[in-house]
Amino acid sequence: MSTTTVPTRKPPTAQGDEPVFSVSGLWKVFGPKPERVPADPELGALDAAELRTRTGCTAAVRDVSFDVRKGEVFVVMGLSGSGKSTLVRCLTRLIEPTAGTIAIDGEDVRAMDKSRLRELRRHRAAMVFQHFGLLPHRTVLDNVAYGLEIQGVGKAERRERAAEIVAKVGLEGMENRRPGQLSGGQRQRVGLARALAVDPEVLLFDEPFSALDPLIRRDMQDEVARLHQEEGRTMVFITHDLSEALKLGDRIALMRDGQVVQLGTPEEIVGSPADDYVREFVRDVPREQVLTARTAMRPAAPADETGSGPAVSPDATVAEAIEAVARAGEPARVMDEGKCLGVVGHEQLLGVVAGVDSTSATASGPTAGPIPKDTATEPREHARAEKPATSTPEAV
Amino acid sequence: MRIRLRTTIPVALAVLGLTTGCGAADMTKQASPFAHNGGGKSVTLSVQSWVGAESNVAVAQYLLEHKLGYRVDTVQVDEVPAWDALSQGRVDAILEDWGHPDQEKRYVEDKKTIARAGDLGVTGHIGWFVPTYLVKQHPDITDWHNLNKYASLFRTAESGGKGQLMDGSPSYVTNDKALVKNLKLNYKVVFAGSEAAQITQIKQFAREKKPFLTYWYSPQWLFKKVPMTEVKLPPYKDGCDADAAKITCAYPQTPLQKYLNADFAKSGGKAADFLKKFHWTTDDQNEVSLLIAQDKLSPDEAAKKWVDSHPSTWKQWLS
Amino acid sequence: MATLTVPALRTRTPAVLRNRAVGKLLLLALVTAVLLPLLHGRAWPHHLTVSLTQPLTDASNWIIDNRDTHPLFLYFFGYISNAVVLSVHAVYVTLLALGWPGVTALGALVAWRVAGPRLAAGTAAAFLACGALGMWEATMQTLALMVAAVLASVLVGLVLGLAGGLSARLDRALRPVLDTMQVLPAFAYLLPVVLVFGIGVPAAVLATVVYAAPPMARLTALGLRGADPEVLEAVESLGATRRQRLLTARIPLARKELLLGLNQTIMMALSMAVIASVIGAGGLGDRVYQALSTVDVGQALAAGIPIVLLAVVLDRVTGAAGADGAKAPRTIGWLYALAVTAAAALAARLLGALDWPVGWNVEIAAPVNRAVAWMTSHLYSGVPVVGGTADWAAHFTTWVLDPVRDGLQWLPWWSLLLIVAALAWVIGTWRTALTAVLAMAAIGVLGVWEPSLDTLSQVLAAVAVTLVLGFAVGIAAARSDRVERALRPVLDVFQTMPQFVYLIPVVALFGVGRAPAVAAAVVYALPAVVRITTQGLRQVDPAALESARSLGATGRQQLWQVQIPLARRALLLAVNQGVVLVLAVVIIGGLVGGGALGYNVAYGLAQGDLATGLVAGAAIVCLGLMLDRVTQPTERRPGKGA
Repeated sequence: MSTTTVPTRKPPTAQGDEPVFSVSGLWKVFGPKPERVPADPELGALDAAELRTRTGCTAAVRDVSFDVRKGEVFVVMGLSGSGKSTLVRCLTRLIEPTAGTIAIDGEDVRAMDKSRLRELRRHRAAMVFQHFGLLPHRTVLDNVAYGLEIQGVGKAERRERAAEIVAKVGLEGMENRRPGQLSGGQRQRVGLARALAVDPEVLLFDEPFSALDPLIRRDMQDEVARLHQEEGRTMVFITHDLSEALKLGDRIALMRDGQVVQLGTPEEIVGSPADDYVREFVRDVPREQVLTARTAMRPAAPADETGSGPAVSPDATVAEAIEAVARAGEPARVMDEGKCLGVVGHEQLLGVVAGVDSTSATASGPTAGPIPKDTATEPREHARAEKPATSTPEAV
Repeated sequence: MRIRLRTTIPVALAVLGLTTGCGAADMTKQASPFAHNGGGKSVTLSVQSWVGAESNVAVAQYLLEHKLGYRVDTVQVDEVPAWDALSQGRVDAILEDWGHPDQEKRYVEDKKTIARAGDLGVTGHIGWFVPTYLVKQHPDITDWHNLNKYASLFRTAESGGKGQLMDGSPSYVTNDKALVKNLKLNYKVVFAGSEAAQITQIKQFAREKKPFLTYWYSPQWLFKKVPMTEVKLPPYKDGCDADAAKITCAYPQTPLQKYLNADFAKSGGKAADFLKKFHWTTDDQNEVSLLIAQDKLSPDEAAKKWVDSHPSTWKQWLS
Repeated sequence: MATLTVPALRTRTPAVLRNRAVGKLLLLALVTAVLLPLLHGRAWPHHLTVSLTQPLTDASNWIIDNRDTHPLFLYFFGYISNAVVLSVHAVYVTLLALGWPGVTALGALVAWRVAGPRLAAGTAAAFLACGALGMWEATMQTLALMVAAVLASVLVGLVLGLAGGLSARLDRALRPVLDTMQVLPAFAYLLPVVLVFGIGVPAAVLATVVYAAPPMARLTALGLRGADPEVLEAVESLGATRRQRLLTARIPLARKELLLGLNQTIMMALSMAVIASVIGAGGLGDRVYQALSTVDVGQALAAGIPIVLLAVVLDRVTGAAGADGAKAPRTIGWLYALAVTAAAALAARLLGALDWPVGWNVEIAAPVNRAVAWMTSHLYSGVPVVGGTADWAAHFTTWVLDPVRDGLQWLPWWSLLLIVAALAWVIGTWRTALTAVLAMAAIGVLGVWEPSLDTLSQVLAAVAVTLVLGFAVGIAAARSDRVERALRPVLDVFQTMPQFVYLIPVVALFGVGRAPAVAAAVVYALPAVVRITTQGLRQVDPAALESARSLGATGRQQLWQVQIPLARRALLLAVNQGVVLVLAVVIIGGLVGGGALGYNVAYGLAQGDLATGLVAGAAIVCLGLMLDRVTQPTERRPGKGA
């Protein structure tokens, strides 16, 4: 099937494994006596402004549950202030959660004592930061080796291992420079290398590329995708950039006001937004790049089974299907292992492009105007106009 | 953490106390870190800020070093702190003291940490002085009764509408504020704040032959450079200065005294004997002072010059 | 016309009321109006003073009577004192053992290692100059005292700084203390220290430590607190322990502040080491002080120059060590430096040339004295047209100092408090206003209201003169690189030259009184004001200047409309620094006839009179606090929370 050679969605990795991180009912409340907020359902139901006036507290993360599966890239996406950075810090208790449970490989993170927690941070989960968090007084090599130094690895050994990683992220020859002498992209490569050097089970990324120029950002995204393909390491990736989320994520949790509004594959998010907020969010996404033929197809009539027309993979994007259909001039069959699952023709494909496909409701919500994708402020009108959607925990 | 700290400190102190506490650290047995080391016999002399005192020390130092083989360190301190230092053994001797009854009572009589070492041989006198060129113009100015008549002569920006009586360093003994008040003089006491400032100002006045009235004392080398005449105040009688606030009389003639640290006086050997015998005249002292202050010789050179020319005087001190 | 103005007024009144400053003033006026019936008289009311004379005299007597016997002295202060003597002695003996070739080599090599060959040459030249001036031994004494004092200060400062940097609560407790110590004049420390330790090196070193440790503590805490939070988070995310975080991240990240702290500590220790000659510190300061007694400016200068040289060299070398960016090429290693030093010292020992050769001395005293004599005799009076310096001084006293002092003393005491409150509140917050008023009131309570106002009048006059001169020179330097380059060494010299050196010339020029006191203060405070002004003007956003130029602004317009308004913060800082520095030399003013508080402190020191000296010292501190708060624009603290 030559039509599917374009790099499309990654093959879903090892579905059904036990989760690496398992989060349920997680709360993080800032302010005086924060524990009462999750404990009291009435307080928990208040919106941000009311909660602030009633208790002086801010709930950065509210009742969030999800699993991160082994080997997947789990993206948490939201505008700034949506609580996503707090959430990722709760995973290794860089920020102490207020309520809920976090488990890594079945072990309760919140019950860990100091040394166990240190163990977790040293060996099992490493983080890459938005502004890199490099030590300016150390060379690139020593920065990369820093995590190993913390673990007590000997100087020669840690330098050797660090040198390997430095080469892996493409910084050969810069080992002895200091962070101040590097460009932003190079610095983030150092940050990435530092996290990789400790060979963690999970990599946590906190908006790692938002401080970089667009071109360099794309390079870095490709770099992460490549690393993931090569090593299959589990990643939790925080971003406010929808295209980045769609590009990298196996699954995306979309956050708003501390809650997960929707959790699903990129296709699910774009194809069937859970509410108007999500719909508005994904409105400008080129749907044909995200949705697959599997979603767009109509069921195959018996006649189609043997019919003519090009064959496309069910995981092919609609854009690819359009190309195939346009070339052939007739509907394409969606073939999986020799079986015809369905058919995509002009109507279905145009429906996807126009946003009127069969699975979702018709037009977008009543709110006018586009939602800014990466501005710093939360659009207040929307927050008040719409009732916060209930989260969809544990999407299958 | 906090609790641990609170208990740690007393424990640490206790340990420190136990390990080091076998002996007390006596500050009085302490030598200056800059003292010449080498184990030889050494003497530390206090130098006060005026040149006369420096002359005494220069000659004593020269003789101690060259004739008796001591090493001599000098410490410059004001008078009252010098008594403190003498009592604590930081210095071994004060060679010129102008009379500090309070200190004398405390250290010599009560604590017995300081011992008298006799007269220096020089008689000191404090008084009010006007330049001699002014006396030539106004011969009656040397009587305090006429001071008010001439107050306008001594007017400066600092004294405002009154005449200026210039006082000196804060370390000097002075009753001038009370005197001006009690004698009903139309004068204001202006403190020069240091002898250096006072001398500089006197020289400037003298250069321009301007009138001035100043607190001053003899013996002082400046008289050779700026001749001054004393203004006669009501004569001094024993006890007239008992109440400093009600004083109306002149300053006394003070035979200047020497004092030694009590331990040094007992066990100071030849040096202590020498310092007890050290005794010279006002002229001797002035000769050395002028060499230092006017000819800008170093104290050592000045002392050598005097020692070379007055062998009969100092030979007695060594016997 | 009338009909026109009325509506205008009507619309304006609420706007005025809304103005924050006016609101504060109105509130203050209201408070005064309520309290007015209780307030009367001009001078501070007698029943509101607390006489400390008796308790202080008792305390002083107790210490004198017990210091040879009481366990507190025998087992605590005694050990401290002995430790100081031992360490200073050890350093001194080492320096003497190195001899002048060894010390010069060591100094130059350290400078080379840290800051490159140019400073190395400068350092060597400075040491040789100290020798040539006949001050080698005195320089080594000062250096030994400095080494001990700086080490102790750095240690104390680091401990306090670490405490403040790691614990928010300790920081809150320490900060006001350190802030206050920053404005304390050096002389205020001397008297109590002398009482406990007696005159001599231990007292000098301890006074120096008290004076020089605060900047180290402040900057250490600042550096630790100012570390990039994301770096710290990254370090924590890698599983670092508290200790690892401190040693591998927080302290290295604070390197710049730590070295700046070291630099400031050294500079303050040096200036204090000179001042401490009053209490028998020995060394260069002592030589300056002794030269005073013979009114020998030349000799004082010969001892002052090594101090200036030491200060400049130490400042540049530690400054270079703190500079960031591309490091100077490391030309020599520490081992090599030590080896060369040892070789130099050994060679000198073998040749018997450890002491500075007498024949190499350069006599500067006589020519300097001739120059000073010429200057003072020709400028003092009778200069055609402009009049002599003595006349200026007299006019300044009559037309500026007298009216200001009489005005201040004429004002009722409560109105002065009110003025202080209003100034501090308008410029800062109600907190600063409260501190300022309390400080001022404390002066009254201490019973030194009148002399404090006298001192205040001198300080105000000196600050005014300093600012006029400082801004003028600063603006000139900011506008011309050549002026700035020419000015730099002059400023260095004036900033580091011990004040005792210019005491005599100042009196010779301006006579005895308050005018020379003001002059001495101006000389001392001017360099800092000029520096801050120049820097502030030069750091103005170039884009703003460019836009002004593009609109065709003349040089004068650029200065008045862009540079000065934009440099407002720096200029206010200059005012603040000017005030603090002027106050720091009030006691020097006391030594040239300034009288008032400065004289009282000098009197207390000279007579061992704790009651007079300490009260006057406390009053100077209160004045300092008050003036600091009145001139310190504090940012309004943002409300707590996110």
